[in-house]
Amino acid sequence: MGTMEKTAAGSSLIGKRIPKMDAPEKAGGKTRYIHDIDLPGQLHAKILRSSEVHAKILSIDTSAARALPGVHAVITAADVPWQRPIGVAKDHLPLKADRVRSPRDEIAAVAAESEEIASAALKLIKVAYEPLPVVVTAEESLKPGATLVHGEDLIVPGPNGEPHVVHKASRDNVAMTFNYDQGDIAEGEAASDVVVEDVFWLHYVTHCCMGVSGVIAEFDASENLLLYSNTQVPFLHKREFAELLGMDPGRIRIIQPPIGGGFGSKLDIYPFEPIAIYLAKITRRPIKLIFTREEEFIASPTRQPVLLKMRSGCSKDGKLTFRDVETVHDNGAYTSWGATTPFVMMQTISSLYRVPNCNYRTRAIYTNNPYAGSFRGYGNLQATFAVEAHMDKLAEAIGMDPLEFRLLNAQAPGEVTPQGMHFKSCGFRDCLRTAASRSDYQAKFRAARAKWEDGNPIKRGVGMASMLHVGGGAKIYPSDGCGTIIKIDDFAHVTLITGSSEIGQGSETVLAQLACEELALPMSAVSVVNSDTDIKPWDVGVHASRTTFIAGNSVVGAARKAKAKILGAAAAKFDRPAETLDLRESCVVDKASGKKLIEIDKLIRSLHFSDKADLVMTTFYYEPPSEKQDKEFRGDVSAAYAWATQVVEVEVDTETGIVKLLKVTGAHDVGRVINRLGIEGQIEGGVVMGQGYALTENLIVENGVIRNPNFRDYKLVTAPEIPDMDVSFIETMDGEGPQGAKGVGEAPAICIAAAVANAIYNGTGVRITALPFTPENVYRALHSNSQPPTWIASA
Amino acid sequence: MSVNIEIAFKLNGIDMRAKVSPGMSTLEMLRDELHLTGSKYGCGEGECGACTINVDGLSINSCLMFAADCDGREIVTIEGLASDPRTEALKKSFVAYGAVQCGFCTPGIIMQARNLLEKTAHPTPEQIRRGIEGNLCRCTGYKKIIEAIIEASAASP
Amino acid sequence: MDAQLASTGRPLAPPGEDITVVQTYEVPRSLAEAVALLRAGNVTVVAGGTDLMPQSKTGRARFQPVLMNIQRIPELRGIGETDGCVRFGALTTVTELLNNVMVKTRFNALWQAADHFASDQLRNAATIGGNICNASPAGDTLVPLLVFNARVVLASEANGAVTTRTLPLAAFFVGPGRTQRRPTELLTAVNVPVPPEGFVSEFHKFGTRPALDVATIAIGLGAVRDGDRLRDVRVAFGAVAPTPIRAPKTEAALDGKVLSTAIEPALAAADADIQPISDIRASAWYRRELVHNVLRRMLDHVGKH
Repeated sequence: MGTMEKTAAGSSLIGKRIPKMDAPEKAGGKTRYIHDIDLPGQLHAKILRSSEVHAKILSIDTSAARALPGVHAVITAADVPWQRPIGVAKDHLPLKADRVRSPRDEIAAVAAESEEIASAALKLIKVAYEPLPVVVTAEESLKPGATLVHGEDLIVPGPNGEPHVVHKASRDNVAMTFNYDQGDIAEGEAASDVVVEDVFWLHYVTHCCMGVSGVIAEFDASENLLLYSNTQVPFLHKREFAELLGMDPGRIRIIQPPIGGGFGSKLDIYPFEPIAIYLAKITRRPIKLIFTREEEFIASPTRQPVLLKMRSGCSKDGKLTFRDVETVHDNGAYTSWGATTPFVMMQTISSLYRVPNCNYRTRAIYTNNPYAGSFRGYGNLQATFAVEAHMDKLAEAIGMDPLEFRLLNAQAPGEVTPQGMHFKSCGFRDCLRTAASRSDYQAKFRAARAKWEDGNPIKRGVGMASMLHVGGGAKIYPSDGCGTIIKIDDFAHVTLITGSSEIGQGSETVLAQLACEELALPMSAVSVVNSDTDIKPWDVGVHASRTTFIAGNSVVGAARKAKAKILGAAAAKFDRPAETLDLRESCVVDKASGKKLIEIDKLIRSLHFSDKADLVMTTFYYEPPSEKQDKEFRGDVSAAYAWATQVVEVEVDTETGIVKLLKVTGAHDVGRVINRLGIEGQIEGGVVMGQGYALTENLIVENGVIRNPNFRDYKLVTAPEIPDMDVSFIETMDGEGPQGAKGVGEAPAICIAAAVANAIYNGTGVRITALPFTPENVYRALHSNSQPPTWIASA
Repeated sequence: MSVNIEIAFKLNGIDMRAKVSPGMSTLEMLRDELHLTGSKYGCGEGECGACTINVDGLSINSCLMFAADCDGREIVTIEGLASDPRTEALKKSFVAYGAVQCGFCTPGIIMQARNLLEKTAHPTPEQIRRGIEGNLCRCTGYKKIIEAIIEASAASP
Repeated sequence: MDAQLASTGRPLAPPGEDITVVQTYEVPRSLAEAVALLRAGNVTVVAGGTDLMPQSKTGRARFQPVLMNIQRIPELRGIGETDGCVRFGALTTVTELLNNVMVKTRFNALWQAADHFASDQLRNAATIGGNICNASPAGDTLVPLLVFNARVVLASEANGAVTTRTLPLAAFFVGPGRTQRRPTELLTAVNVPVPPEGFVSEFHKFGTRPALDVATIAIGLGAVRDGDRLRDVRVAFGAVAPTPIRAPKTEAALDGKVLSTAIEPALAAADADIQPISDIRASAWYRRELVHNVLRRMLDHVGKH
């Protein structure tokens, strides 16, 4: 794409604080989220969920529910024999036919005149179960003779009624495995002067978007499907729904209302959406289905919990030699994106700092626990937790300063990792140095250790952790591209139609900024259209922190074409070469002198009403120059990579276990800051999300049941608890990124927990390898009343 | 068999009458019966503040208040504050300071911030944090929200 | 799993007792009207709704055919002092406690509990009467009220007139969510004797947040300082027993003793006074550790000032 030179100060929007375009409407309470949308004639739907953790369904009696006045339909699996499985492994039917495997399992669904009637109808549905043994630990799941969670083939009727196996039985409860190798572990271990080993437990947390999940489905008179969905991947879902329903994808339209938070929770299809579509088909009415908050906790995917064993080593002169990692991923009852987090985890294990030898293995195993989806960071929080714990441990073992140890092993621009990732722009070392110096890390680190035995129950400590994440998309799908259509009307108003989606992160505003930068028009001249698959061009979706980079480059491409058209028209009009012209402050100008020739809107009108009448309408599809990984997981999967280092300062009350996060000092290699206000907001929000993961959030799952499906007992961070935040940006001006920018959406959440673990050790001398660091967990660790996580027998 | 309760109350300055069932919350009445969707359902349990409204001058979680109890009261929602100068100052500063991301928590926080500023015209940052401790935000990390409230309080007399 | 359990493992109210059974909705305008309605004993009382509404939505509340809103009864409002006793009307909100200068200076532990109560929105709606009748073992205002020897006033109708009885708060709680209040009675006020001269008090609710937390443990402490000793010692605990409790063994270990040497025996006595359970918020072991460590801090703090 080519980096823009920084344009003259004062006229450029890049790096400025630009308020979010939809903020005024949101601040006034006028924005209509999916919960606020009502279609004429709509019915309300509710789902009956299992009251057993693992059981055969013997019978479902819906007769009393159907008879309730106001009920239009009650459906079970028997009513939708044509339903197809969802999820990456296709092991998951939306309505459960003969078996339930977790408390969230959907057994029946009701469509009624009101939510109240639908809820009352649910209570009238009688289900008879035959309980089955419940499998909730890795040991139970993997032992010989274990109860199998998917012990039979999943069979659906084919096009001619013949039985069709869509998911083969899993005879050992292993849903997926991953194995990645670089170099030679034995050699690496032999070359090590120090080896450390730990087992880490990364726990269940959940997204807690402030807006609960919901969907509205409607078939029109020609059987076209209209879906109001909070999906983050509308085009992928369009295609998947078409397969699920046996429809032509061209007859499915998805409209994305403003979303009350995403964070990755909307990257997969979950049963409630197909169920709403089934009800819409059967009742021939629009169906609105909105979760309660309790349902949101129970039925939404979690972050992937991971049991991780890691051995790593270094030489006495401080060079990393190897990392050997094995994980057990609790896959839960059905497979969603959580099982694929190894794709990201192995990148961190193999390439966060320079490691010549590495082996990474995962087994994702079926249990009756809640299942995991994708969640901001996508496995990177878990992997970084382990890597950065060992960075501190190894440094301590060889007597090296932890910052120096990290600097020694941090990659520099131009390096290519054994996995094939090419770090074209790389501000890793600058991130380390900046975060360390702004936080006074080294001095505080030494001072804290000196106070371990001073008898004061209140301890302070500092901890450092860095992260590596994709910053230029992630080519996990055949295309990682995004399309843009631009039209500029007779009044120089720009309609920017982008395939990318706004999920609250501010992408609309950044894209408008990039367009305005090319076209020299003000932000007020731009409208962004991005929420209707009938109108906007294809984009793979909002994930992997890709939108600024990829949608941004797509916008820049379309805007440059529009600029070329405008300058071409001006060149013809003023009879001079287009290269001597430029756009500045809403005008066509002489490039050299800046002298104004004509306002852009006038020029466009003159083109429109000329004898060679034309409009300014341009398109561009940007495909990043990255590659899909091969079967050995090798490949330059992103067009750019991003780094951050965070130093945290904590205060630990050793008499209660309370850990207060006092300060977070972060340095982020973002390539280039486009919207300073937006990027700060992303980072501050990500830090606090990381704080929750480290200290306060804990989804308590016991025997497959979520014990705290509410905000009273699942603790999000509140305003009085936030740390001081100091954020620096390292602008490495990525050659491919739009204006040099790289992606940042996930980065700030990724290394907080890792840094907090190191800070607790620095303050107290106690290393805790299991999350969360709630007061009781910390207290137990400090007073030797807890067990570190134990590994299970490997296969 | 559900009884219907007739109530009369003032809503955003307008005299209103409504019929509500005993179990209906004020939030449900506002959203489902009166189609005022600015107050949000976040949890239904008073733990998140997305439903915050003003009742007789006090900040209340409308999800916890029985709709029948609105009888005789003065209710103000975000929709009723379109011309309120203090709310205008808050909206302006929220926009300018980047305090809005997905925006779902925003109406509730602006209602709560307005109530806070009515009681304490120039709160300290600590008072602001305590003042919005009952409002959850998952996107912003609160920092810009606090800055925006400080700015709005400075802008007001 | 029991068929009566929802998938979350929480009990569902049996059909017929959720809010749809309500047949009449009453809003009495006087105490006399209210007790007359209560005579039949088939009334669910609602004030601010901050406990009743979430319990209703999750199916944990059992409703009676009559739903009675007591918020328009003037006799239930107000804070006033007569004859060395402060009367808090049952409808006194937590915000009203927080804003009351007399509460802050004379009933400091109660003021601290109000300051650490939930959130501004909840403080505006939650009433002292509701907090008491909800009888949560972790109820924030209940621990300081025990420290101050509060008494509850219960009104009912007898012979066509309002009659009242008074109970010490410590005797009012029977178990989690259960009190001595009869179905025909309404809690109208809490009477709190003005503490003796020189009485100091403190409240500590353990949590990671200043408020918006259900207490893992709560401790209330009050005493008169007499040189190096404490007299008239009151100690109360929350969230470590089926109800909020006074701690007689702890009090005995402190009362009249030289404080510095009484602290360790008092901590051992506290361990005997409490019966914490393990639940999703904390284990019994950790609650014991917290009581020990937090109480020691509070006593050290009292000793230094």
